[in-house]
Amino acid sequence: MRKTCLTLTLMLVAAAAPAHHSPAMFDTSQRLLLAGTVREFQWTNPHSYIQLLVKEANGEEVEWSLEMAAPTYLANNGWRPSTLKAGQQVQVTMSPLANGSKGGLVWDVTTSDGRKLGGNTKGGN
Amino acid sequence: MQQLLRRTLSLVCLLVTGQGSVHAAESRAEAFARLPDWQGIWISEEAADTGISGFPDTIGQPGAKPRQLMDPAGPWSAEGQRRFSALFAGMAGRKALGWGFPMMMESPAPLQFLITPEETLIINIYQEARHVYTDGRGHPPEEDRWVTTWGDSTGSWEGDTLLIDTIWVRDPPRYFQAAPPFSDQAHYVERLRMTAPDRIEWEMTIEDPVTLTAPLQVKSAFVRTPNLDRLVHDAFENDRSELEGGTFTIAPPKE
Repeated sequence: MRKTCLTLTLMLVAAAAPAHHSPAMFDTSQRLLLAGTVREFQWTNPHSYIQLLVKEANGEEVEWSLEMAAPTYLANNGWRPSTLKAGQQVQVTMSPLANGSKGGLVWDVTTSDGRKLGGNTKGGN
Repeated sequence: MQQLLRRTLSLVCLLVTGQGSVHAAESRAEAFARLPDWQGIWISEEAADTGISGFPDTIGQPGAKPRQLMDPAGPWSAEGQRRFSALFAGMAGRKALGWGFPMMMESPAPLQFLITPEETLIINIYQEARHVYTDGRGHPPEEDRWVTTWGDSTGSWEGDTLLIDTIWVRDPPRYFQAAPPFSDQAHYVERLRMTAPDRIEWEMTIEDPVTLTAPLQVKSAFVRTPNLDRLVHDAFENDRSELEGGTFTIAPPKE
């Protein structure tokens, strides 16, 4: 039993192998869609962030802090510092913070017309 | 006249010693010419699918493939299992300083191989550098044992295959929380060979009398990154991961 538990934990952690911290802070069983306006794109180490302004049902605008990988990993996926600009409308697929705060882990970003950002710059987006 | 004298003296030197600055320069050029060309930026094939989250898409899902160096099916001893358990106990609240060795060889962090006759430098995006000395030197004597995060590496060329021998690696999880808990008695032997223009095959065999019951063998390859033509390094100056009840959360942006 102990071996089974260890194996399961290993599978979770080892598959992740993140550069900075464990993914345990995010509820990775959930993938939510968040639409909003980019307030700021932080192209920074050890993580990049999208500060996204999201209008809630009551009309109030709430800011979300959405975490991404370090810039190198973004660049390796075709992103550049200019990929996102303040004022841009985007849809983000993300896993929310497990503690319920307004934050999450970004999986995918698409523009309002459905174009996926990033991709292989050599092969074309 | 002075120039003629200098030339004559140089020629005498070459004739007497069989060496000299001109001859040495030619030998060095020839030594470079014998080395393989591994220019470019490379990434471990196993981690090349890492997305903009920094994690594989399969994270947390059944059947997710672990890194080979962290494979629970490996020949871990009871001590190895015990160390793994201790590792997981505090992992959620720990930050990495980088990848360290051996994980930097099986990570999504791009790296370069800078090859000279005397040394191959393996350096990744976090400026973690492995100095692999290929000038014939051995490891320092045991009495000068100096255990470090990247260990002590010597190398040699067998044709176009680079052999690397590494010892004295300090507790890998100390630098990167999700690294295998090998002891500092572990012995790492690697073989690297370019088998295609965009592919360098890599094998690592680890023997550790403390955490393994048999050698752990890992096999993968480095492939060229499609989107990078340079490595740009930056400091961890926007660290917004803050502990809250033993787990991290995202701190508000610094204004």
